[in-house]
Amino acid sequence: MKQEKRKKPIWVKPWGYTEGWLIVLGLFITGLALQLATGGLDRSALAWPVNLVVGIIFTLIIVLGWVFLKRKTPVAWLGSIPAAVTSIAMITFLVLLMGFTLQEDAQNPVWVQKLGLSNMVSSWPFIFGIIFFLTSLGMATVKRLIPFKGRNIGFFLNHAGLYIIIIGGMLGSADLKRYTMHLHEGEIVWYANDRHGHQVQMPLALELISFNMEEYNPKIAVIDPHSGRIIPETISEMFEIDKGNRGTIFGYDVEILEFHKLSGKIGDRYEPVNDFGAAPAAYVRATCEEGESTEGWISSGSFMMPHSLVDLNHVYDFSLAMTIPQASHYSSDVVLYTESGDVEEVRIEVNHPVSAEGWKLYQYSYDDRFGRWSPSTVIEAIRDPWLPFVYSGIYMVLIGSVYLMTLGKAPVKENGEQS
Amino acid sequence: MMPFDPTLFTISAIVCWLIGMTLFLFQDKLTVIKISAHGFFLAGVVVLTVLAVMLWQELGRAPMRTLGETRLWYALFLPLTGYATYIRWNYKWIIYYSGVMAIVFLGVNLAYPDNYDRALMPALQSVWFVPHVIVYIFAYAILAVSALAAIKGLYVNYFQKSRDWSPQLADNLVYLGLGFLTLGLLFGALWGKEAWGHYWTWDPKETWAFLTWIGYLAYVHFRHHQPKKVVVAMWVLALAFVVLLICWFGVNYLPSAANSVHTYS
Ligand code: HEM
Repeated sequence: MKQEKRKKPIWVKPWGYTEGWLIVLGLFITGLALQLATGGLDRSALAWPVNLVVGIIFTLIIVLGWVFLKRKTPVAWLGSIPAAVTSIAMITFLVLLMGFTLQEDAQNPVWVQKLGLSNMVSSWPFIFGIIFFLTSLGMATVKRLIPFKGRNIGFFLNHAGLYIIIIGGMLGSADLKRYTMHLHEGEIVWYANDRHGHQVQMPLALELISFNMEEYNPKIAVIDPHSGRIIPETISEMFEIDKGNRGTIFGYDVEILEFHKLSGKIGDRYEPVNDFGAAPAAYVRATCEEGESTEGWISSGSFMMPHSLVDLNHVYDFSLAMTIPQASHYSSDVVLYTESGDVEEVRIEVNHPVSAEGWKLYQYSYDDRFGRWSPSTVIEAIRDPWLPFVYSGIYMVLIGSVYLMTLGKAPVKENGEQS
Repeated sequence: MMPFDPTLFTISAIVCWLIGMTLFLFQDKLTVIKISAHGFFLAGVVVLTVLAVMLWQELGRAPMRTLGETRLWYALFLPLTGYATYIRWNYKWIIYYSGVMAIVFLGVNLAYPDNYDRALMPALQSVWFVPHVIVYIFAYAILAVSALAAIKGLYVNYFQKSRDWSPQLADNLVYLGLGFLTLGLLFGALWGKEAWGHYWTWDPKETWAFLTWIGYLAYVHFRHHQPKKVVVAMWVLALAFVVLLICWFGVNYLPSAANSVHTYS
């Protein structure tokens, strides 16, 4: 780069990296000043149809700008690698700052908030950076598109695809709606809450029939009964509880003689029941190296039942315990009512959202005080009208990345091996 | 409670690679040595593959959840990548580097044995889980080799003061690795939409995955434009790998990750 500088004064055709770094600096300072003066961009200002208009005008400027002005130095430069690399570097720098800062205003000092660091994607330096980045990317795409050549197809898929993803994602976020619907068994709910807790009318209603949860078997652990903590050396010895399972833990030979996934305490023993608040319980036997053995019931308990431990020594330093079972699946069976009058029973499960009336419904949460017996559920309703557009870009880059893999060149003979 | 001992497999794989690498040193002496070198090196890969498959069956889920489990796949793909690169381009040093790296990773797993756990949180139970992780680990393995190529290039440049060195291997590996990295990123986005409701939320793990990706993008473009400035390019490549490592291991420890949905044990 030093050589380049000496050869040619700055801002004289053709521009290179020096001009790029100066532009980055200029954008950064201007952005920062704007940020300090006005705070970040309010995304909702871009809501439909403003975002569509902005997107079309921006893209038209790039296309027409290239077609008519490609001989002008700045325009030619924007479609070149130095512009690409410096804009990539600017974005990298800003995202790096973002990578080290918690993206949440409330948990950061005021100066961090003022600089826009805790809300990077809405801050002006970032937006200026993205505009520079998109301009360079767009110009590069058009440069190779006109005139069209078949061998540029891979290039086109990658660059145009990425352009579509980024512009669609940025502008589309103004139209993204994420609401939560809180359902209780037997209630028909026609409204949702936004992030600030305001109620919004929905074009569909949900009625919870039942919340369902399946759980993995709990594990057996050795804990300190005073702190409730697992004894660290035994963590790798914990094993799954099931009738007949046996293992060595903390020097004890431990056998699971009985296991009920759902049980209730009857007298001093546990019997299988399926009542509200039932908890898993196991009858275990622990034998120490000297041959002495202890037996008893352990249970992780539930909101209705206390947990239960088996003490391994007489001074109560450590006890056998059952871990709280982890959910393997959870879902909500709901009745879905639409404005057009359809009534349908559906299951909304994690990773399996349900689509209706342009919304996608996700299993979001439940009342974790009650675990599997939760009488309520939270469904997240999401609407993202720009999704098909962004997805078309994602598919283009997916194909483009396969093209990228084929770019490796045939090996040159490197004067034999070097190692 | 495992009906088999993962430690045994891990140690056998390490032993196979050690023998294989030693034999590679003397492969020019006898054809038998050469064949056994290849045999032992590949046997290590096979042993580890068997372990991965058995774990998968035993756990009833893909063994790709914990860091220890991803280290296992890394230790599987890295020698495979190194071997393929060696066969394709005949760089012998790659065999040793990838072998040693894989052994280090398995060593970490031996020092900190996993508590193999069948539980897989519901959000991870998706058709995207396996392709997403496999493609990523594969990309990481390839890009690790490209980082080694970069370090070798820098070494040759600064210590041997030699310009007689071509970054072509690094280029080829980056094209391949960046392709896989892009697939991983996009699979992740498509999965995120189904599991968490949005394809991109600038979650800390996503932020660092983006940084990793864009670092390699910078490399590709810089190389395309200034193929002569090899040293700058190799620095970019080495730094991109540092970012990759932060993305893989470091994110859990960053303050910005306090609310991440992607920090698993
Ligand atoms: C999906 C991401 C991307 C991939 C896979 C990619 C890949 C490539 C490749 C392989 C080349 C070499 C030309 C060829 O062999 O066809 C190239 C050139 C180029 N890329 Fe990218 N690129 C990506 C994103 C970007 C971005 C974000 C920018 C701008 C900010 C950019 C700007 C350029 C420019 C200006 C050229 C040179 C075009 C020319 O002079 O003809 N690319 N890209």
